Amino acid sequence: MSTAQELIQRVTSHIGASDTGVATVGDAAQEVTGIAVMSQATLQGLQQAATAKANLVFSYDPVFWTGGDEINRLETDALFLEKRDFIQAHKMVVVTLRDKLRDARSDLIATGMAKALGWQAENPNLFRRPRTSLLGLTKELGAKLNDKTMRVVGDPAIAVATIATSFGNTSQATGIAALNGPADVLVCGYTREWEVVEYAQDMLSAGLKKGLVLLGENASVQPAMAYCAEWIRGFVSEVPVTAIALPEPYWNP
Amino acid sequence: MRLTRRQIAAGAVAVAVPAKAATLTVRDVLERMHGQIGTPWFERGVDRIIAGDPETPVTGIATTMMGTFDAFKAAAAAKCNLVITHEPTFWSHQDTITQLQDDPLYKVKLAYMKAHNLVSFHFHDHWHAKLPVDGIHQGMADRMGWSLPAPYDRHIDLLPTTLGGLAREFQRKLGDRTLRVVGDPELPVKRIAVSWGNCSLLPGAPYLNSDCDALVIGEEQDWDLIAYAQDLVTAGRKKGLIVLGHILSEQWGMEYAATWLRGFVTEVPVRFVPLVEPYWNLKKPVFEINTRVLP
Repeated sequence: MSTAQELIQRVTSHIGASDTGVATVGDAAQEVTGIAVMSQATLQGLQQAATAKANLVFSYDPVFWTGGDEINRLETDALFLEKRDFIQAHKMVVVTLRDKLRDARSDLIATGMAKALGWQAENPNLFRRPRTSLLGLTKELGAKLNDKTMRVVGDPAIAVATIATSFGNTSQATGIAALNGPADVLVCGYTREWEVVEYAQDMLSAGLKKGLVLLGENASVQPAMAYCAEWIRGFVSEVPVTAIALPEPYWNP
Repeated sequence: MRLTRRQIAAGAVAVAVPAKAATLTVRDVLERMHGQIGTPWFERGVDRIIAGDPETPVTGIATTMMGTFDAFKAAAAAKCNLVITHEPTFWSHQDTITQLQDDPLYKVKLAYMKAHNLVSFHFHDHWHAKLPVDGIHQGMADRMGWSLPAPYDRHIDLLPTTLGGLAREFQRKLGDRTLRVVGDPELPVKRIAVSWGNCSLLPGAPYLNSDCDALVIGEEQDWDLIAYAQDLVTAGRKKGLIVLGHILSEQWGMEYAATWLRGFVTEVPVRFVPLVEPYWNLKKPVFEINTRVLP
């Protein structure tokens, strides 16, 4: 039976990244009964992994809600302790892959999302699609990604044929560059309201016909992580690899 | 001692009105603001003139939540050339423009501001630091019809409602089509914590765990505080989180800024520019643009 350490090394070497600096919670010497792959290692996601008898979790986003050193300030937080204890009780090892995937294999995310959408990419982050409206595009995204609460900037009636994508979080520079490129619309997971959202609004105010779609993190990453699960099955055969689907975190009144 | 807003405004008028009408410059207005904010003016932070000349004579003042192009157009149409914004003009908290020198939209927006003799002042940190109470918190409480307890904290006691009922109340009072909610719509709610604008895991997690049924915020990344709230709900805690959107969660604080300014700037009109919600969603695909100044 393989240990978590062995499997983490195998996955990171296939990503083409070093296994140093991989954010890992749990005892890496643990023997692995199964692998679960998900967008966000929420408590619900971990419970579903446990039900699937998977104790090695590969998550896009971090398990303790923060990428920084704020974790030290949570050590008296009851929910932190409860989640940590759940991980220990189920002999789980939880690995955050976001940075490694972004740095070395962002194509996996792009390919996974293209596959989920059924779109053919012109380059990993640009798609040319049959002409529709911004509203038509968002309806298609909503149906294919099971996303009811996405938020959209722009006139629903504008024509959309060229689509730029930046799944997960989109930085100010990336977002501004994409909106100034050939695309009619930028589709991202999240971008700050006081940065790229304001920029997109200002483009509209300047008379430009552009759109910006904020899918939410889960809808913008989960299908890609399902594709990652399939990809991991290509070089891990000793344990089952399960893609965990999480519900949309929000509802709208 | 707790001053009422009327007392603050009355005191302000007494010191602020000049003996005779002279040209009021941006610098004059800012100096009066320094004297009225109730806390020593500090240099750290982001508050500064972002575009325009401090010696510009002021024809009118517009306050607004964010220095959007729409807001500047509305201000110019209302002949208000000093635009006091809570959030940035040039798309980052620091209003950093080094990377934007060749940006076509930067050039267009800046040229418009110059052509209309507009001055943009970023008024973020001091308005939050205002004593005796954060100006954004006061203005949002006024909009929601809440009286703030003293000493001021971030908790509000409400008439008993549900998480869904509270969300609909925010939707109605703030004109918020796209607000999003984590938690059970039927959750009973009678005490909430509020953290307008961006709210990260800290201080968000301690707020959620405090003596409240729900936390109301403006904005945060899904894998940060939002995921924490989801986990709290999964773990069986009776809690909810309402995410309003950044602009709609703070902008009535800038209406209060207009009221506050009128207390010590009487030579020129002071107007509030409410921004339209930047987003629509599949449930309400309504597109609005072109902000209007409040009468």
